[in-house]
Amino acid sequence: MAFDRPAHFPGLSRRLPWLVLALLAAFPLIAPAFGLEYYVGFVRRLLIVAIAATSLNFILGYGGMAALGHAGFIGVGAYTVVALVEAGSASAWLAWGGAAVVAALAAAAIGAVSLRTRGVYFIMITLAFAQMLYYLAVSLRTYGGDDGYGLYTPLEMGAWLDGAHPQVFYWVVLAIAAGVFALFSRVAHSRYGHALRGIRDNETRMVALGYPVYRLKLAGFVAAGAVAGLAGGLLASHNAFVSPGMMHWTQSALLLVMVMLGGLGRRWGAPLGVALWLTLEEVLKMYTDYWHWPLGVLLLLVVFHAPQGLAALLERRGGKEATR
Amino acid sequence: MSLFRAEGLVKRFGGLLATDHVDLAVEAGEIHALIGPNGAGKSTLVNLVSGLLPADAGRIVLDGVDLTALAPHVRSRFGLARCFQITSVFGNDSVRDNLVLAAQAHAGSSFRCLARRDAEHALQQRAEALAQRVGLADVLERNAGTLAHGVQKRLDVALALASRPKLLLLDEPMAGMGPEDSQQMVALIRSLASEMAILLIEHDMDAVFQLADRISVLVYGKVLTSGDAEHVKGHPEVQSVYLGTEARA
Repeated sequence: MAFDRPAHFPGLSRRLPWLVLALLAAFPLIAPAFGLEYYVGFVRRLLIVAIAATSLNFILGYGGMAALGHAGFIGVGAYTVVALVEAGSASAWLAWGGAAVVAALAAAAIGAVSLRTRGVYFIMITLAFAQMLYYLAVSLRTYGGDDGYGLYTPLEMGAWLDGAHPQVFYWVVLAIAAGVFALFSRVAHSRYGHALRGIRDNETRMVALGYPVYRLKLAGFVAAGAVAGLAGGLLASHNAFVSPGMMHWTQSALLLVMVMLGGLGRRWGAPLGVALWLTLEEVLKMYTDYWHWPLGVLLLLVVFHAPQGLAALLERRGGKEATR
Repeated sequence: MSLFRAEGLVKRFGGLLATDHVDLAVEAGEIHALIGPNGAGKSTLVNLVSGLLPADAGRIVLDGVDLTALAPHVRSRFGLARCFQITSVFGNDSVRDNLVLAAQAHAGSSFRCLARRDAEHALQQRAEALAQRVGLADVLERNAGTLAHGVQKRLDVALALASRPKLLLLDEPMAGMGPEDSQQMVALIRSLASEMAILLIEHDMDAVFQLADRISVLVYGKVLTSGDAEHVKGHPEVQSVYLGTEARA
């Protein structure tokens, strides 16, 4: 948009993200006062999943690449952490950085092949690659195979950070999540972001206009894979456990559902979808073992009443121009 | 030496020879029209030239550069641009955003991913100049999808102009237009001819005879004849296969 129209509450919509960030940052400090310590871990998991979902929203919502194998990259990240720990490394930064790099390499290889296909073929081929990774993890005896692998000693983030506060990992995750979100929001308005959306909307025209469509898509796919790998590395630390189950295709599908629930190709789509889905799951589990079906009903409601997702609904309520 | 030459182009779809050893030349500053009945292979030919379809045989040369083995987006860099028979604009975006996107493709890298694009004045100015060129300056901020058909067609042309092409391929620019829009398009195409060579595919015979310096007739994937309007009008075979037999009376 060349000239952003002012929102109805320009001050609020500008300040809201910072307010949310401040609340999230303060949460571990105020949680004990309300007896909510348990939920510090829950919010941490939510933030990690939001990182992965944000990267999926980037390639799917902005790039139009319906990848059904995103959990594969999360798994690659997690197993990179396992491999580094098994090799004797204890550095958290090396492990998480390595998770992103190895996942980026995997995404480059998988993307180079998959992105030559379109539509349903692309969905199936990304799914197939992710399942190959899944079975590879199952067969890796050194890393626990089917049983998974426990990370019994937490990774070291450096003496200064590790000694600062018991919840320091939470703030590290929050900082990474905020950074990833800010980065993707910024990229969305760059030349690259505009080109990616152009490809989503009309690929043939973009080719005729002279865009190197394949390379542009591959770059986005690799970036998203790297960020998903980073999320996988963080998730490994969070759970202190890694198993092939985290890259099963149902996990990819779940991530997809959360992004669509929140709003595909919307700035706030991924974090909203993840927050809603995981919070409801958490709450419903307290009351019933059959928590799946209310979530199914919710999904149907969203499909019928807010097919553009929650973020679109909120944008409309706020009278704000869609940031598509 | 012609600005653009296609030599011995062949395209097969299974057993169908859609393009049968076509030779075609377009001179600088010339409007070369390609006519022919439905199914003659006109759109296939445009796709071969623009590279959206790979040719089975033959050569395509533009301004001394052999484009045959180049990907379509690279051909665009060497001065080839095209419009689409079915209007192909970005319907969810404003006219301005459409034009900025087209301008961006040929002005620096599209891998730049941090700086805000809409702060780039050069791109905005280029978009405005393009809008001016095709008469869309009044609708810059309108959503492209909400514009009338004829206006969208002009936007389609403007998108192609962004690359400053040496050869512009127009695939039925007058398709589905009323007489008024048609005349506007004819005037636009004529005004472009001084800046670039144009290969015009068109069904509207009035427009073709008004615009074309040279006309080639494509039938069953083959060039039947090529010449100026009088030559084509007078050609007996053209009359029977294309203009209808009653034209002979």
